[in-house]
Amino acid sequence: MRIWRCVAITAVAMLASAAAHAQSGISNLPRKETLIVENPEGTIKNPGWFNIWGINAGGQSTGLHQLAMDTFWYIDPNKGVDGVWDNSLASEKPIYNADFTEMTVKLRRGIHWSDGVEFTAADVVYTIETHLKTNGLRWSAAVQVNVASISAPDPYTVVFKLKKPNSRFHALYTVRWNAMWMMPKHVFEKAGDITKFAFDPPVTLGAYTLHSYDKDGKWFIWQKRPDWQRTTVARFGEPGPKYVTYVDPGPPDKRVIAQLNHELDIIHDTSPEGMFTLARQSKTSQGWFKGFPYAHPDPTLPMVIFNHQNPLFKERDMRWALALLIDIKAVSMASYRGAATISAIGVPPTGTHPEFYHDPMEAWLKDFEIDTGKSKYKPYDPTIGKQIADMLRPSMGDQIPSDPAVIAKAFGRGWWKPNPQAATELLQRAGFTKRGNDWYTPDGKRFSIRITVEGELRPVMTRAGSMIAQQWRQFGIDATTVVAQGSLVDRRNSGDYEVIISWAVETWGGHPDLSFFLDSWHSQFIAEPGKMQPPRNWSRWSHPELDKIIEQIRGIGFDDPKGIELGREYVKLVAREMPTIPLMAYNVFTVMDTTYWTGYPNAETAPYTDPVPNWGNTKYMMVRLKPTQ
Amino acid sequence: MRGYGVYLLTRLGQFVLVVFIGINISFIVTHSTPIDPVEATIAASTMFGAVNPEAIAIMRQSLKELYGLEGGLFEQYLTFWRRVVVLDFGPSLSAFPAPVSALIARALPWTVGLLVVSTVLTWILGNLLGGLAGYYHQSRTLRFAGVVAMAFHPIPYYIVAFMLLIVFGYLWPILPISGGAQINLQRGFNLPFLSSLLIHSILPITSLVLVGLGGWFMGMRSLVSNVVTEDYVTYAELGGVDRRRILASYVMRNSLVPQVTGLAMSLGAIFNGAIITEQVFGYPGIGHLLIQAVHAGDYSLVLGITTISIIAVSAAVFLIDLLYPLLDPRVRVR
Repeated sequence: MRIWRCVAITAVAMLASAAAHAQSGISNLPRKETLIVENPEGTIKNPGWFNIWGINAGGQSTGLHQLAMDTFWYIDPNKGVDGVWDNSLASEKPIYNADFTEMTVKLRRGIHWSDGVEFTAADVVYTIETHLKTNGLRWSAAVQVNVASISAPDPYTVVFKLKKPNSRFHALYTVRWNAMWMMPKHVFEKAGDITKFAFDPPVTLGAYTLHSYDKDGKWFIWQKRPDWQRTTVARFGEPGPKYVTYVDPGPPDKRVIAQLNHELDIIHDTSPEGMFTLARQSKTSQGWFKGFPYAHPDPTLPMVIFNHQNPLFKERDMRWALALLIDIKAVSMASYRGAATISAIGVPPTGTHPEFYHDPMEAWLKDFEIDTGKSKYKPYDPTIGKQIADMLRPSMGDQIPSDPAVIAKAFGRGWWKPNPQAATELLQRAGFTKRGNDWYTPDGKRFSIRITVEGELRPVMTRAGSMIAQQWRQFGIDATTVVAQGSLVDRRNSGDYEVIISWAVETWGGHPDLSFFLDSWHSQFIAEPGKMQPPRNWSRWSHPELDKIIEQIRGIGFDDPKGIELGREYVKLVAREMPTIPLMAYNVFTVMDTTYWTGYPNAETAPYTDPVPNWGNTKYMMVRLKPTQ
Repeated sequence: MRGYGVYLLTRLGQFVLVVFIGINISFIVTHSTPIDPVEATIAASTMFGAVNPEAIAIMRQSLKELYGLEGGLFEQYLTFWRRVVVLDFGPSLSAFPAPVSALIARALPWTVGLLVVSTVLTWILGNLLGGLAGYYHQSRTLRFAGVVAMAFHPIPYYIVAFMLLIVFGYLWPILPISGGAQINLQRGFNLPFLSSLLIHSILPITSLVLVGLGGWFMGMRSLVSNVVTEDYVTYAELGGVDRRRILASYVMRNSLVPQVTGLAMSLGAIFNGAIITEQVFGYPGIGHLLIQAVHAGDYSLVLGITTISIIAVSAAVFLIDLLYPLLDPRVRVR
């Protein structure tokens, strides 16, 4: 018995000592000065690699591209610290010549690398010339396709001569999540083969330098530079956290536990259920929205994507019929448990897009009519967002807003009203027939659709796909889901699917220009069946009117108001043609803990940037964060 | 002795054949994956930022050249075998240009440490309790221990693991729930690091022990229950030999042979990693690495891990086969 008693006492002593350790996640750093952030890349296999220009070599959102890198411009997906557009390393906006074959960039003076060397035009020229002569770097191909030459008339000016007109060439150096970062010439020119150069420790342009990192790739710690005043964010003040740690906290449940224990200040994303748990149990946790749906709607639009190289989906009537068989309320409940921000049109309902597209087009949408040949319908129901809010109110109570403007922002505006009668008429006009409860294609085969979903790797989208399959099945279509898991990207890119739940629309968010995704929708980029499709026109849809719109956008400047008009023409075209069925914004359940830090961005009072911490744009968050203790 | 030599050579031939077939199957399976590492890389690089469609084709070609994927399948097969012979699996395709062997070498000590300790601990506890329960079958304490061990046995592993996480990570947060050691600790043979290592391994090891205990317990209890009915045990009891001596020297010892075989097999399988354990507890081991490699279509890394695993398991079986005739004379060498 004495032995057992000894064992028990030892175990209790060990647990007591463990408790002390467990409550302090980081050794040798003051918790009050440290911001702990989830890195959604997880464990980095090659953690000692900081050469971000080497493709796929190490981590990017380990803090490397948020805190250590910099480039000419940033466009904020929300409102921005000082407007949506920020001249970062550049001192002004890009200056194009009349035919967009030349871009001049004026550089900001007084910016220094973390080793004390000044950033000048020589670094830019070196970066571009290195990419011109080296294959296999992350931005080699993009530079080689566009740039004929680069010159530096003085240390603070660079001139790009382009191979052909490109009015959106600056997009390559404008951060929306990331962009092409500038290289320190004085470091890389001595590195030898730069495809094999690890760049450890990195010499940074951002306000932080590398403090330490885990050899197993679980965490990275960055420390505020003593000379942070000589970096671009200094214009907005001193970054709050002295240390920023990016960690791999594990699966969603563990992220929730870690934040409940105040050991993870920013969760990048969790499940809707995890978000609701935190909202209920943690007074210090906050999302983008103060109440439901909490999540930040990313400028990304998940959708039902038809494969237009499959003859089955050639008919517009059929695509519209399928849209009218979807009950978006049920899809919202199934996917996000109601915490979705819906969009009927081909633009994400986020950032400044509602102001430029959703609100101004509401009248057009209300009047929009479908003629089935037998009757005419107005399919748009402007109250669906409100209906979702009303549906959730009994169970969620005060968390559901009642102000119509807030509801529109949080849940979205309207969507297409389910209309099986109109769907029947459209299918019949397209040559489909119904026998008993089952529908048949014009050539007499059973009308079956396989919806490819990602599976457990992206459960929210998978649940959306399953609900849509169920709704189509109830109508008599043989619809099933195919779980692709890790092969989704290959199947999507190679066109190996009938219908897929994914996204083909990503935008700047804060800026109304749609060329970020739309340019790649030009018919010139559509691959032959079976060949790999370049991003982002996964549906491989083409239309002469669309090509015309894209070509007109190419011919005007980035800030030209005509761009918004052309964007609205695109919206009308895709509403008429329904090449894909837009569903909702990609809502990210980023949760921020205010125990140690305050000043996080939020939708109501501080929409100054995207809180989703793997975005390069979150460098602006650092200057707004203040310690609470 | 000549008989043993023939036996040894036969088993060696079988070992080589099993390894050869296993590695070939791995090569075929990994190269049949629908995940193309080049596409995975392109997707990862272009998923969020600005994309120039014209540049993608150039990028695709550059990556194929960089990753050495340009040759035909047979060419890649020959290159692979050339590398296997010198245990160099080339660069990882998802962490290019880091060598696969370096990634494995970094992850392997975590897995080996975790699984050797948990496997040996489970084996000792399970056999000890099972042996005692089989011999002292009237003991209420041992019956209760049996109920506990068997209660955990059929529960899916991940449920036990999450239960431990919730209890000791949230309800009574006294243990760390993620990683192999505390963040920002100086690695090496120093007390803070070693104690952090120990504390971080408590939950993963406990979860493995709880779930694995029942199997060894039941196996040993059945073996002992059979042995106690043997004539020599009855004779010893009638002869007044001390019961503890009977248990240790006559019963347990004779029951242990198949359990030792099982232990050797389990130790060999350590190189497979503990995929769910490492995922749930964020342990930086080989299982975690394997899952990452599969998702990224990194077949160099998958092949590296599976090859080592095949060799380890086959070698364990080979060693057991060699030792068996020496340990147990009842196993005859033909």
